[in-house]
Amino acid sequence: MRTLRDLPAAAIVGSIADAAERWTDADYPARVRATRAVMERTGYSEPVVDFALDRLFQDLTRAHLMQTIAGELGSIDALDGFVPRPDRSEVFFRGLDAVTIVSSDTTIGVAIAPLAFALAAKCAVVVKDRDDSLVAAFGETLAEERPDFSASLAVERWKAHDDPHALARFAQSDIVVAFGNDRALRAIRETLPPQARFMTFGHRTSAGYVSREALANEASARALAAAAARDALLYDGEGCLSVHALFVESGASVSPEAFARLLSAALAEAAREFPSSREAGPAALAYERRARFAAAQGDGTVYGMPEGHLVTIDPHGGPPPLLPRTLALYPIAEPAEALAVLRRHDLPLEAFALPGDARADLVTLAVRSGAARIAPPGTLQAPTIRSEHGGVPRILPFVRAIVRER
Amino acid sequence: MSQGRVREDALIALAQAWARNEPVVADDKWFDSEALALFAEQIATNAPYARFAATHGYDAARLPLSWRDIPAAPSSAFKNAVLATFDPVATELEFHTSGTTHEHAGRHFVQRATLYDASLLASFDRFMLADRPKLRFLNLVPNPRFKKHSSLGYMMGHVSVLRGDGKTEYFLDDDRVDAEGFARALQAACDEAQPVLIAGTAFAFVALLEALGARRFAAPSGSRMMETGGFKGRVKAVERGELYARLSAAFGIAPASIVAEYGMTELLSQFYDSPESRSTELRVKVGPPWLRTLVVAAGGREVARGETGYLRHVDLANRSSALAIDTEDRGFALDDGFVLIGRDADAPPRGCSLDAEDLAALSVAN
Repeated sequence: MRTLRDLPAAAIVGSIADAAERWTDADYPARVRATRAVMERTGYSEPVVDFALDRLFQDLTRAHLMQTIAGELGSIDALDGFVPRPDRSEVFFRGLDAVTIVSSDTTIGVAIAPLAFALAAKCAVVVKDRDDSLVAAFGETLAEERPDFSASLAVERWKAHDDPHALARFAQSDIVVAFGNDRALRAIRETLPPQARFMTFGHRTSAGYVSREALANEASARALAAAAARDALLYDGEGCLSVHALFVESGASVSPEAFARLLSAALAEAAREFPSSREAGPAALAYERRARFAAAQGDGTVYGMPEGHLVTIDPHGGPPPLLPRTLALYPIAEPAEALAVLRRHDLPLEAFALPGDARADLVTLAVRSGAARIAPPGTLQAPTIRSEHGGVPRILPFVRAIVRER
Repeated sequence: MSQGRVREDALIALAQAWARNEPVVADDKWFDSEALALFAEQIATNAPYARFAATHGYDAARLPLSWRDIPAAPSSAFKNAVLATFDPVATELEFHTSGTTHEHAGRHFVQRATLYDASLLASFDRFMLADRPKLRFLNLVPNPRFKKHSSLGYMMGHVSVLRGDGKTEYFLDDDRVDAEGFARALQAACDEAQPVLIAGTAFAFVALLEALGARRFAAPSGSRMMETGGFKGRVKAVERGELYARLSAAFGIAPASIVAEYGMTELLSQFYDSPESRSTELRVKVGPPWLRTLVVAAGGREVARGETGYLRHVDLANRSSALAIDTEDRGFALDDGFVLIGRDADAPPRGCSLDAEDLAALSVAN
């Protein structure tokens, strides 16, 4: 049987894109089954799972894959053999032999993007799948598109990271890619052989900044609130791209309090499209009660309902609640105050919401915040494979650069 | 003497009479009247509670129509404000909440110890010592001599002195259980045929059982246990039924003689398993007539009998703080009391978002 190494990378990319295109159809039987399985595993509503799968597969186009690979490697041909480079040695980005990807228990399809790039690099890939078997189902579509994938892709399930099968897989891997919380990642790291590379995507959160310019009039403030609501509410606010902290500049025509009201209304509106999939837990209830009692003392303000969303205005720069559908607004005078809050709580940020035309000092703030992605409000939950993920390139981790000097 | 003080003295007298099984007038009308009068006093003298009540539309000019409508302060309010109707400098007792893993403690100031003493003793007498035995208290709770801000330690200290055989001992030092000391004390009681009352938190009992291993005792007839506290913020939790079975096997005390007390620092009265339910699987919590409970939804609406919700307690013994307290404990109401389900764990997290626990762990690591 041929392996992916026998094929041109462009052909592999084409097959991946063709498989993904079939998954963009909400009526594709494999997707219908997977949607149900993901809903059952996560408890998310159908619109949320559909959003996640649409976003994932609509992005895996031939053009996006080719652009990303060419952007990182200079040319897709560098995956097939040596290619010349201006003023540098020829290079061949040869795919690693063995890649293991460990999906997280709590997310939807996070393994699929790295899987696509590892396959494009012609690696043999093992994916630890979840109960919904989403990766396995996509793997079957890949094999239907091109049977050669069967020899290079194994989708498995194992219970613990230290069971003998998992340990054997890790021992054979040139790189292990893992998603999960710190505890899970630490457990995997402890089982890895010393030579294995370990690429982790841990749990993080996201923040945003609402500038005076955006609050110059109610229309722009309302639009921004709608965008921020979408960022905060999707996945019930439980994603690393979910905004939990919004810094709002004072002194504009629309005050932070007025913006909080607009945001609360926008959250209620967004909840019609993406209804909550489960009741608020005791932690959210306790937070809400504490915030309301504090508000009664003149210490902050609370908007929303316990059964829905919650927006609090925190005048003291306390830690953001990090709870589902809960968002803290911090009224500030200048970006330095936002940075102080972020640093005080040592918040590991994945993304920072900032309009494309934001002031230079806000871009500086976003960079200094530690976020790996700066994106306009409303787009946080729609990252693209054309960008790096978590500060890491997409295909470079799966290749080894071999240079040829003449 | 102020009206409030008159009412307080009347409540003490009522508690003492009730403890002696004497008939008392403590019906719905009485409770309504007492609760509303106390609420009016509290919002006149307890500014944080008054501000909170105002957000519910109540003030001196507009009082609730029923005790059921009295705004309940969240239990966390004791952490964020001084909920007192008097200057805490003059406090006779000061209790601190234990705090959870990630939060600082709250403070409950008690103006008069006499009321708390009467309240806790009356319920303890009725629900733990109805047969009026003389027991030896073996306490796996904080020793009040060293932990003067522990309400549980205070309570057990008080009842041990008044109702014990004079040989009370404590076997809990912070989270460390002195299992060997306990084993010696229990064996001595067994040798003397002296019935014991073993009181402790569920967490301490689990630690004790683990430390004792396979050792077994045959506690003298009339011995009993009082379990309280649950596993809040602790690492290791076991099912209550399993715990009672293991305790029963270890100490030779029938499961029906193991009684769960449900109290909290924020309340000056306590609930216990009703005597009728102690031999059944469904233990029903009951309290004294000056303590009532509503089961409410997250938004505060009272739910139907039998429906699960969050527990809201209204305690007339909380005279010098706030009488109505919202908890995150879950339960459902029955005709004769309520069933405590306990504090739900939050649903398992989804997504890749950092949660508060992750953040705390990061802070510790850094």
